[in-house]
Amino acid sequence: MFRINLIKITAIFLLIPQLVFGAFQEGEKIILDEKGNPIPFALVKVDGQKPLTVDENGQVDSPSNGDRVVVFALGYETQQLTWEEWLASEKIILHEKSGNLQEVVVAATRTERSVEDLPMPVTVLNTEKIQETGGMRLSEILREQTGLQIASDHGAGLQMQGLDSDYILILLDGEPLIGRTAGTFDLDRISVSNIERIEILRGPSSALYGSEAMAGVVNIITKNNSGQRKADFALRHRSFNSWNPSLELGTGGEKWDANVFLDHFQTDGFDLTPETIGQTQNPYKATTAQVKINGNLAPKWDLSLFARGYSETSDGLMQTGGAANPELLELDNARRDINLNPTLRFKPNEKWLFTLRGMSSWFSTNSNTRFQSSGEVFDLQDFQQFYHRTELQTDYQIKPNQLLTLGLGQLIETVEATRYDDLNRFDAGYFFLQHQWDPGQRMNVVSGLRADFHSQYGNRLSPKVSGQYKISEKLSWQASVGAGFKAPDFRQLLLNFNNAASGYYVFGATLAQEGIARLQEQGLVAQILFDPSTLGDLRAETSWAFNTGFRWKASERANLQVNAFRNAIDNLIETAPIAQLNTGQNAFSYFNVRSVITQGVEVDASFQVLENLSLSAGYAFLDTRDLDVVDRIENGEVFKRNSQNQTRRVTLEDYGGLFNRSRHSGNFKINYQELNTGIDWALRAIYRGKFGFADRNGNLILDDESEYADGWISVNLTASKTLSNGIFFEAGGTNLLNTATPAQPNNPGRVLFLGVKIPVLNLKN
Amino acid sequence: MKTIPKLLFTAVISGFLFSCDSNDDPTPIVQLEATLVEDLAAPNDVIDRTTGEVTEERPFQFFSLEQNALVSENEDWDLAFKGTTIRVNNSKNVSAAVVNGIFEEITEVPANATFATDTETSFAIPTGSGSGWYNYNPATFTVTPIPGRVILVQTTAGNYSKIEILSYYKGNPPADQINPMTTPSAHYTFRYVLRPDGTTNL
Repeated sequence: MFRINLIKITAIFLLIPQLVFGAFQEGEKIILDEKGNPIPFALVKVDGQKPLTVDENGQVDSPSNGDRVVVFALGYETQQLTWEEWLASEKIILHEKSGNLQEVVVAATRTERSVEDLPMPVTVLNTEKIQETGGMRLSEILREQTGLQIASDHGAGLQMQGLDSDYILILLDGEPLIGRTAGTFDLDRISVSNIERIEILRGPSSALYGSEAMAGVVNIITKNNSGQRKADFALRHRSFNSWNPSLELGTGGEKWDANVFLDHFQTDGFDLTPETIGQTQNPYKATTAQVKINGNLAPKWDLSLFARGYSETSDGLMQTGGAANPELLELDNARRDINLNPTLRFKPNEKWLFTLRGMSSWFSTNSNTRFQSSGEVFDLQDFQQFYHRTELQTDYQIKPNQLLTLGLGQLIETVEATRYDDLNRFDAGYFFLQHQWDPGQRMNVVSGLRADFHSQYGNRLSPKVSGQYKISEKLSWQASVGAGFKAPDFRQLLLNFNNAASGYYVFGATLAQEGIARLQEQGLVAQILFDPSTLGDLRAETSWAFNTGFRWKASERANLQVNAFRNAIDNLIETAPIAQLNTGQNAFSYFNVRSVITQGVEVDASFQVLENLSLSAGYAFLDTRDLDVVDRIENGEVFKRNSQNQTRRVTLEDYGGLFNRSRHSGNFKINYQELNTGIDWALRAIYRGKFGFADRNGNLILDDESEYADGWISVNLTASKTLSNGIFFEAGGTNLLNTATPAQPNNPGRVLFLGVKIPVLNLKN
Repeated sequence: MKTIPKLLFTAVISGFLFSCDSNDDPTPIVQLEATLVEDLAAPNDVIDRTTGEVTEERPFQFFSLEQNALVSENEDWDLAFKGTTIRVNNSKNVSAAVVNGIFEEITEVPANATFATDTETSFAIPTGSGSGWYNYNPATFTVTPIPGRVILVQTTAGNYSKIEILSYYKGNPPADQINPMTTPSAHYTFRYVLRPDGTTNL
């Protein structure tokens, strides 16, 4: 099999609009998949000649004479034919490769490589896998993947390898998404209907992406239009009066294509505790509009423009005042997001590729709480964030087996909010280096380094090395070691907050010294607990992680992937008191205090039983621990009260690690295509093992059976079918057993859905 | 007549040997039973949510360990409770130390316990979550006594006492039955042992 030149694939994707062939000619062959659909962009190579590309109809020009013909396409088994066999067949059918090893991934190395060549743990979800979850928001798709959890904390946050969503970078078409509330990026903000692929990269990736990529990266790739004219209308309906209409328009010419996407989602929300005022999830409406334009400006220049707007509003009711004097409050929340990303690509020759990316993002939230009776304002919160980044990436193919990537970037961030003073601005610069090298047929090594320079928290260096060794055609072993970091966020640096009712103050690290001085002037301070000159020196949270595992293609039909990991995280930021006030309350600030370890194993297996039946199973084991708590337990300093209210010492066996993490989780999926009706069935059982949800015995750590919520299984089923005229139908449900999980409030119980998608301009008759 | 003084001498010596063994047979230490104080109501000041101003000040509840009763401010009180704050009577030289251990197993005042009294700038029993006798659990919004924290107090009479706070909520409910919205708080339930003779055995 011939080696793929690393930049060649990029070149092919860029130049596609120019390789469109004309009508079917004599001697032309057609390349199809098992279902009879053409495989666009497959390659046909005769002996040593230059490979010919197949057009979007699967047709290819007849090549000149030769001995052997190789037909190759990403995701399919290569076919080798003799010249006679080639002449004899009009149609060449390629079989899909089982497993996702051939999927192309961009986020792992910022260049295109296939999963099986990547020396780090990567999962790719293609359109089929996304569709079978029946999800309408991103969180609903990710929760079915091995080793990923969705925790509801200020929004639907992702957990990967036991680390919170604060430590996972979310990218949209390769550009970071901003707007986190208390560190959580709410995955419910991302609509699903226009997602083409999702790349999930585990392990610290700060060597490429800097802050926040400590646990990993999720790259959401939206659909690209290859110039085809289209107008697809889709409508989905779900329990709780949820509606999701969406419209996708595409058009293009020889040198350009444009894609417009509109999506609206609204729901009545749900309530797990009908006896109390206020719903568990408030009703909300969200609208997304996205425009993508790609164009070929000149023979070696390509320009892409990406623009996205998101607007969400929600309302609800709350009660305050305690049992004696209850008062109803009305809440109105709004969230807005605008992204503008132009990208310019210049490919002067085979060896060089320059990419210039500009990226600007605006995020704002507004929250208005009023007394229902009088309309008087109870609380008003405003938050506005602006982020701009300019980056130049250079890819240089030193040799066919070595690719060097250099990146240089500068970013500006401003934040303005009710709880912060004035307008705050951060400036940062960075550069990164990455070397991809295949020293032999069996090995490949990726090494990277990134240096970040930030105006507020100093400088950081993040290295990473990953290597893969192909033991045989079927078995490959990989390992990677890397450093990750997470910058202190606005809250931790800038907060100026006073809870008037309880009398405590919280100061961000940069304001602490000033804040304490002010309180001292007012005569409020009883005792200072920390030397004021040491305040304000807040560093980034850091981690070192080790990932290792193997990919084994046991047979044509069976695949096994295993990954073991260990993350050692230091300097976790938490609040601690800095002064005692006359009232007996404290003033707090943020410090680098904690050390945490997360480690475990993730296993994914898939088996193609028959042509139309495949099974897959996944299992994840996770062990987490806070090292300071372990120290205290070993020193006999931690106690617990049992049910008879007797005190005894806590032992290491009692300690359960961090809250809200399941030790065991897994999934089992069956995909079946019914041949008579043509309906595709996907049945999934997703298991979440028991997890600690709150401290019950007074010592603030997880150490008792009563502090765990039960594990549970969500049984999900989706049925879908594409009619011969191209109209697509789907129906199904999640949590069919209607399991209730009060400790996990993002589970509304059984949810049923129905959907249809009509490719209005491309209906086949 | 030499035998008789010898015998007498031996008898007297033996008498001493058999009678004067106060070291082997000390006065037995009376095992003290813990006194349980239930639902001592000590409400905090009423504070306006939005301005932080005290709209209604409430008094401290003065408690005497010696008398096992609430007393007035000018009498011999040992501890004063209001909200989560516990003061000691510094005008009558009451001092306190916070130690870690199992209540029943602390049979003696530990040698390394540092007793302090309240001053202008600090409390003998520190205030704030995690520093003194309680933890505030932000996930459940409840105040719970830290297991293993025992407060040692030297009272107005100079006697030693060990105190364990069992609950901050009325009726001493188990932790999972506390509803932070409805269960009345600032009702102390605690048990203590008082050694009435001034020795350090508890």
